[in-house]
Amino acid sequence: MLTVGLTHFLILSAILFAIGLFGVITQRNVIKVIMCLEIMLNAVNIALIAFSQSVAPVSLTGQIFAIFVMVVAAAEVAVGIAIIFSIYRNHESIDMEKFNILKW
Amino acid sequence: MIMEHIQFIAPEISLLCFALLIVLLDLFITQKRVLPVLSVIGAIVAATFIIVIWNTPPVGLFDKMISIDPFGLFFKLLILAATVLVILASHNYVLKFNKFQGEYYALLMLSAVGLMLLVSAINLITIYVALELSSISLYALVSFLKDKKSSEAGLKYLILGGVASAILLYGMAFIFGLTGNTCLTCIAEYVRGMPFKDLQEVPALMIGLVLIIAGFGFKIASVPFQMWVPDVYEGAPTTITAYLSVASKAAGFGVIARVLMTVFGLPVWLHNDWAMIIAVLAAITMTVGNLVAIVQTNIKRLFGYSSIAQAGYMMVGLAAMGLTMGTKENVTGGLIFFLLSYTLTNLGAFIAIIAISNKINSDEIEDYNGMIKRSPLLALGLTICLISLAGLPPTAGLIAKIYIFSGAVNMGLAWLVVIAVINSVISAYYYFKIAKAMWLGTPVTEEKVDASWPEWLALAACVVGVLALGVVPGLFMNLTTAAVRIFGI
Amino acid sequence: MPEITYSITFYLMAAIAVAAALGVIILRDVFRAALSLILLFMTVAGIYLLLHADFLAIVQILIYVGAISVLIIVAIMLTRDARQGQPLGKIKWVAGIVALALIGVIAWGVINTAFYLSSTPPLEETVKPLGNLLFGNPGYMLTSEIAAVLLLSAILGAIAVIREK
Repeated sequence: MLTVGLTHFLILSAILFAIGLFGVITQRNVIKVIMCLEIMLNAVNIALIAFSQSVAPVSLTGQIFAIFVMVVAAAEVAVGIAIIFSIYRNHESIDMEKFNILKW
Repeated sequence: MIMEHIQFIAPEISLLCFALLIVLLDLFITQKRVLPVLSVIGAIVAATFIIVIWNTPPVGLFDKMISIDPFGLFFKLLILAATVLVILASHNYVLKFNKFQGEYYALLMLSAVGLMLLVSAINLITIYVALELSSISLYALVSFLKDKKSSEAGLKYLILGGVASAILLYGMAFIFGLTGNTCLTCIAEYVRGMPFKDLQEVPALMIGLVLIIAGFGFKIASVPFQMWVPDVYEGAPTTITAYLSVASKAAGFGVIARVLMTVFGLPVWLHNDWAMIIAVLAAITMTVGNLVAIVQTNIKRLFGYSSIAQAGYMMVGLAAMGLTMGTKENVTGGLIFFLLSYTLTNLGAFIAIIAISNKINSDEIEDYNGMIKRSPLLALGLTICLISLAGLPPTAGLIAKIYIFSGAVNMGLAWLVVIAVINSVISAYYYFKIAKAMWLGTPVTEEKVDASWPEWLALAACVVGVLALGVVPGLFMNLTTAAVRIFGI
Repeated sequence: MPEITYSITFYLMAAIAVAAALGVIILRDVFRAALSLILLFMTVAGIYLLLHADFLAIVQILIYVGAISVLIIVAIMLTRDARQGQPLGKIKWVAGIVALALIGVIAWGVINTAFYLSSTPPLEETVKPLGNLLFGNPGYMLTSEIAAVLLLSAILGAIAVIREK
């Protein structure tokens, strides 16, 4: 229990991933939903880097993967926030439950 | 070393160059009609490059990042064809985007580049980045109308797409952790050498497999990730809806087939497991799609549910493909043929819908009443596509369904085929509801509905393709069989 | 680092990370939630350090804390009703069960799988090999190029969506 190994990091990543997923499903504020998405991606990165360290420490594949995940996350947030502004201009609100033109 | 290989990614590079050229020219020229011409030229140049490299033996490039093989090249041509048809169909529609026409074409082409790389990628990292390239362009394109519906649809697509790609990534992380590699062939080697007899002995592989199927399920709109489809299809610009329903879905099937077949194709117990998952999901997906489609009154929403149902039929082909691995049977090209037929059919239907709703400014089915009197040719084209979607002769839809279902029966999936046939009968009901409205309904006005010549051209190409596939399928079947041969053993 | 210190540091970091993640969900005020998110990002960078990924830790701070958080905070500032928090949506029970089940399944899978652990010690210095891998051939050169196109399409898309009609 005291020696921290791969398993500990993976379980931490699972907990963070689950918290992020829970947040994405339940949050009503769109910006918070995007934040929860970022939590999920961070959880994945922890798993990738933990695997990288214990499974492929020299080839560094997991770390490379994590770098690409960060690149994509940044791009996704940028587009996401642009869309949020576009919505805000139309609705004057960013509450998920007020978006009811399309049935969710 | 790099320069020798660059010819193999020339299709993507040339398409990318034309996309950049469009963005640059858009700054200077006022005559925006040049832009679609350029993008069509770009796609044709890319297609020429593909045909030039068509006969090269399968080869992995750039340190096993992408593979050039008949399977990937076939999908690239399909994606390019869909892109050209969508660009032609956008001829009148782009006027809604005012000064953003250049960005519209450029993003469409960038997403096509992403999809083309996606179907030939053979490394988990490349697959992920290519997938996101196409997705991010599409997130923006879905919200391009900037009205309430469109931006809402874009947000929903972005959030659900983000969740799905996080789930996919988590699955990939587990596969990487188990095998220490991200290249598909290296993972396959490891998986084949595993001393196990059951998926439960390697829970990490099971978790990875399930998460990956769930993540890709978003792209192909399978249950339980189908809920974005109706909203996004209704809210997005109709041309983008058409693009999403064919190109994005075809590429999704291309990549999921490649990953499942090459990585998890063998040993036998493994492909039996995932083929069963896919088969059960297929049954649920088509039933959900068809039952909900019946009550729809908005034609874009109806086609959303219809495309969910069609994804269900395609998953039947995917399951059958998985089961053929390791047997003496040849891998069946049913899925590929179905995708070809579906792409032409659904695009044809959407082109007619784009032309009609652009004139009458409505997506409600009741406004299609008596369309045969207002525009006989558009109504006829749409009807032929509806017949094909329902799977009746003499169209591509029938042959594709026979092809896919017979392959599934051969592999012992008779129960699934029974469900699929019942579903086809149900689907005929709502397809003919539209046809009935157009042929027998009384029009609200006598005002004629016309389309521009690029729209006619695109519609004609689709209808001819649908009929050709239905009448002389033999020619195309050879093509599809050649495409899947790379998965043989 | 002696093993006991390593363990204690890990548990401390893990506890802060989970608390910060929960904070993002629980805190009503969106601005405070964003601050909690920044705390999470920094803790994750610390966890990367524990995993001998020094370059990744720096990149985590630069990209997540430096860029993404700023974007999110700007978005909060510019949307008016964002500051007032809203209660959770209706389906929180279902979501909670899904999340707990997910943790359970993954923990079960991780504990019951014999991962093939490499005995080679991790690299001391990762910046140079990472650079070679990212832009070299053999390496991830092609993927880096695709990522560059991805950033371009994100810029194009974001600008086209955000500008007035």
